[in-house]
Amino acid sequence: MFKKYAFALTIIMVMVLSACGPAATTAPPAVVATEPPAVVATEPPAVVATEPPVVAGPAVKELTILWAQWSPADYLQQIGALYEQATGIKVTVVQEPWGSFGDRFNVAMAAGGTEWDMVVGDSQWIGQGATAGYYVDLTDFMKANGIDKSVTPATLQYYGEYPTGSGKYYGFPTEGDADGWAYRKDLFEDPANMAAFKTKYGYDLAVPTTWAQLMDIAKFFTKPDKSMNGVAIYTQKDYDAITMGFENVMFSYGAKWQNPDNTVEGVVNSQASIDALQYYRDLYDCCQAPGLNNAFYTETNDAFIGGQVAMTMNYFAFFPALANPSTNPFADVTGYFANPAGPTGVRKAALGGQGLSVISFVSPERQQAALDFIKWFAQEDIQAKWAALGGYTCNANVLKTEAFLKATPYNPAFSETMTFVMDFWNIPTYAALLTPSQNYLSAFVVGGQGTAKEALDSIAAEQTTALKSDGVIP
Amino acid sequence: MASFEETGPRTPVVEPTRVDKVHPRAKWGKSIRVILTVIVTFIMIIPVLVMIMTAFKSRANIVTPPPKVLFHPTLEGFLYLFTDRSVLSPSNLEAERANPGDLNYWQKLALSVGQKINGPSDYVGRLKNSVIIAGTSTVLSVILGLFAAYAFSRFKIAGKDDLLFFILSTRMLPGVVVTIPLFLLYKQLGWNDTHIGMVILYTVFNLSFSVWLLKGFIDEIPIEYEEAALVDGYTRLQAFFRIVLPQAVNGIAATTVFCLIFAWNEYAFALMLTSEKARTAPPSIATMLGSGGLEWSAIAAGSLGFLIPVAIVTFVLRDYLLRGVTFGAVRK
Amino acid sequence: MSASESEFKSPSTKVRQRHLSNSAIVNLFIWPTLLLLIMMNVFPLFYSLYLGFTNYSAIAQKAPVWVAFQNFSNILNDKNLWQYFATTGRYALMSVSLQVLVGFGLAMLVREKFKGGGILTTLILIPMMISPVVVGLFWKLMYNPTFGFFNALLGFSDPSRSPDWLASRLAGQPVPGLALFAVVIVDVWMWAPFVMLLVLSGLKAIPDYLYEAAAVDRASSWFQFWRITLPQVAPLLLIAVLFRTIEAFKSFDLVMGMTGGGPGVQTELISVDLYRIAFLGQFRTGMGSALAYIILIIIIAISNLYIKYLNQSKGEG
Repeated sequence: MFKKYAFALTIIMVMVLSACGPAATTAPPAVVATEPPAVVATEPPAVVATEPPVVAGPAVKELTILWAQWSPADYLQQIGALYEQATGIKVTVVQEPWGSFGDRFNVAMAAGGTEWDMVVGDSQWIGQGATAGYYVDLTDFMKANGIDKSVTPATLQYYGEYPTGSGKYYGFPTEGDADGWAYRKDLFEDPANMAAFKTKYGYDLAVPTTWAQLMDIAKFFTKPDKSMNGVAIYTQKDYDAITMGFENVMFSYGAKWQNPDNTVEGVVNSQASIDALQYYRDLYDCCQAPGLNNAFYTETNDAFIGGQVAMTMNYFAFFPALANPSTNPFADVTGYFANPAGPTGVRKAALGGQGLSVISFVSPERQQAALDFIKWFAQEDIQAKWAALGGYTCNANVLKTEAFLKATPYNPAFSETMTFVMDFWNIPTYAALLTPSQNYLSAFVVGGQGTAKEALDSIAAEQTTALKSDGVIP
Repeated sequence: MASFEETGPRTPVVEPTRVDKVHPRAKWGKSIRVILTVIVTFIMIIPVLVMIMTAFKSRANIVTPPPKVLFHPTLEGFLYLFTDRSVLSPSNLEAERANPGDLNYWQKLALSVGQKINGPSDYVGRLKNSVIIAGTSTVLSVILGLFAAYAFSRFKIAGKDDLLFFILSTRMLPGVVVTIPLFLLYKQLGWNDTHIGMVILYTVFNLSFSVWLLKGFIDEIPIEYEEAALVDGYTRLQAFFRIVLPQAVNGIAATTVFCLIFAWNEYAFALMLTSEKARTAPPSIATMLGSGGLEWSAIAAGSLGFLIPVAIVTFVLRDYLLRGVTFGAVRK
Repeated sequence: MSASESEFKSPSTKVRQRHLSNSAIVNLFIWPTLLLLIMMNVFPLFYSLYLGFTNYSAIAQKAPVWVAFQNFSNILNDKNLWQYFATTGRYALMSVSLQVLVGFGLAMLVREKFKGGGILTTLILIPMMISPVVVGLFWKLMYNPTFGFFNALLGFSDPSRSPDWLASRLAGQPVPGLALFAVVIVDVWMWAPFVMLLVLSGLKAIPDYLYEAAAVDRASSWFQFWRITLPQVAPLLLIAVLFRTIEAFKSFDLVMGMTGGGPGVQTELISVDLYRIAFLGQFRTGMGSALAYIILIIIIAISNLYIKYLNQSKGEG
């Protein structure tokens, strides 16, 4: 008897709710559909092209920006306070912890949410945002206001442009970031060390200019019995760390992730790539501090703070902690350098960082208000203020000023790095391409399984499958 | 036997007497048992002690080998936990340090680590949310579960096994995948980021466990008591409240503790289905990002603070947890 | 209602008319629970099932497209996924059996009343009260071979010759399976108290006259344990095992915090992989739902086994 009732109720419930459920997800597609350029072209440009904003609806009094929960978001909030002083519009930066930032943003966008007007999204989200129609097309806006010329070309390409080379922009480069290195100046400048190094390797102990030199230095400083190791490099499997770490070497060896036509076979597993992977594995085997088999920014910084390594790899965003004497006992003797060059002299760095994008689901008035904010924010003096607070500006001029270079010990290396950053994929399929990379890199480097060639061949094969199943390549 | 009936035991028997264990060795055995328990308990809570130490250590002390038991304690962890700060850029830092003005202890501490307090963090608010949501859902799931368990235990119900299995199956689907349908459902109902939404969710998830566990306990209570009561004129309901309930206290206490712990520590749904108003503490504790990595001392401090209410509830209920069901009156 | 009836009235017709009938009670007791469960669970369950047959991605802004069994065949043909299942099975087996052993042992220790027993029991329960994510993070700190406490307490002072648990290495040599075992240790640490509490309740319910009778018959301690203690504790013990096994298959927070599935895929439990597929940027909701249903079926199969044992042990056949 119960079963009968339960079953009937179930059917009714399912029918009622199924009618409602998918509607939540099919409604936005009806509006945004599968042709985002068409939709986007009709809305924002109509608003953007006319410079003095046509105030149609009620004046916008406040804006919200979604970002991850970290210090740069605090700095942006302070910038927002300046904007409020200038225009009376209140800007609130909503901070979501890193662990849930991506998930929360994606889930909200899937439901066509309008909780935020702007988002400072990862560079890798641009493809997703553009094709799925979350992001407003900023091309005309940025060109009309000269914003595209104000930032370094590399940052514009990676934080703003999609597809690569198309000249269409969906994000304003806000927080530049890339991989760099911190090192123990006291160890490098210690006369005994310098003498011993010169004797052993034949050249002076100094900041490495090539990866080969970095390996020598790492080996020199690896003394397990003294609890000292050469390096702390990225090995984390969870999301993208080990791929990013490897990229630094891979790009510098001249290898890349894809051909211009998006095929990967022969490119991902090219000889240069194999050599680079072998290098990364050798570096891990000889000189990685113990306990760092799943290391990302926390662990590499901790290893440095604990005095266990001579050099550590990390994003510049996390170097303020190393420069802070109360966090890092070695802060006063910590130096920073940008990625060294590969065997052919190429210098590249894996890109991090985020760009500011406008959400397309909010009303046209709000979109215009958001664009006004970006226009104000992109001005050189505001960017200088942003940098002074601690934000990693992408403004080409500010990056070269004395004030910037002197502001922190790592700014010179940062400024240098921002001219040769390079990114992983940014198409919507990027996550499916990241998974095999993470799996096989971790298995080879950390797990010690197989050979470099086998690992890269497997990555190429699985990435090809993913690309094919998403229709990116035939 | 005759003499026993006439005189009876002179002193109340406090300990269960065992015919085979009145040997003096028994006393010794008991001491060993106590000592062993203390040792085992200590070993089990060593990690918790490590956490407590970590809450009072500076970052460098935590990550520098070898592990330290003696160290210079600091309240940084609590500063990170309870306040919202921003890291000062070096130039601003110098300016602030040159002109500190009138600062209280916490502000001075913040300045000493290169940061500036913006205001209180939302930890306390989150804690309050946790108390409301977890507490309410626990009470609800235990009460509802108790009634349902009793019905399943005592009555013949058509399709009982299937229903019980259905109740169990609600717990089997990995939460990760149910999140998106639930998110959509809640959006329809307008329950996103509301207390009631989370309370209902946790109640439902705990119900499967509480029904099964309480049924297990109630099954252990001999049915002869209620039958006797019914013969004496009690109604079913009265029998339930006056006879079964007191004997099920042990089970109710255990179920309460487990349901509370689950709802209290639940992380995935709290992360996905709440944002500002109804968010509980676990999502924020685990991701306390310092300026260059996870802030271990803050995480330790936050987790310990978060642990205390549950520990208090368990401590208060400990007698009920350890109490034995009355036995001996009914011989089977 | 009739709660105020005097307890000495004999069952007269007058009384019988005023109290709830049995079926009314059953309805009243069960329906609120069932309704709540149906409402909150049926829609997600069915919608997830539907999604399993589509290639839906929650963030792609495209309506779900029916692909029939493609997701399922992709999963079942993927040898990687079978490996993850095997890993999860091994993990569940090791973890649950150790939990039972340790939990049972703890319960036997604590069963006799003694001063301070209540406090000690509360202390033992504390590991269970900490959020699994935080437990994972802190044990990662503790397992660190250089500044972690675990190795130090075990007596390993030289980092280069001590086991690097989460990296599956001992003095530089790979020891496959060490990381999984390390995770099992943490899981047992957390949940053995759970088993202990349930077993304890069962132990306390054992009437002493059973032991007295056995002693009179000169039964050995082993016999007493096997024939008296175990059968009485079995129902609650099996409930504990049932729920812990289900949770082991869903186990995700702990592993993610400690190893992220590494090194390689040594600790890649099936739910970690599920999270990767369904979230973490990939957002392949359709595939994730299909995988979740496969996991569900496996869990249902195992649960059925347990429940059979449970009913047998209670004599319900």
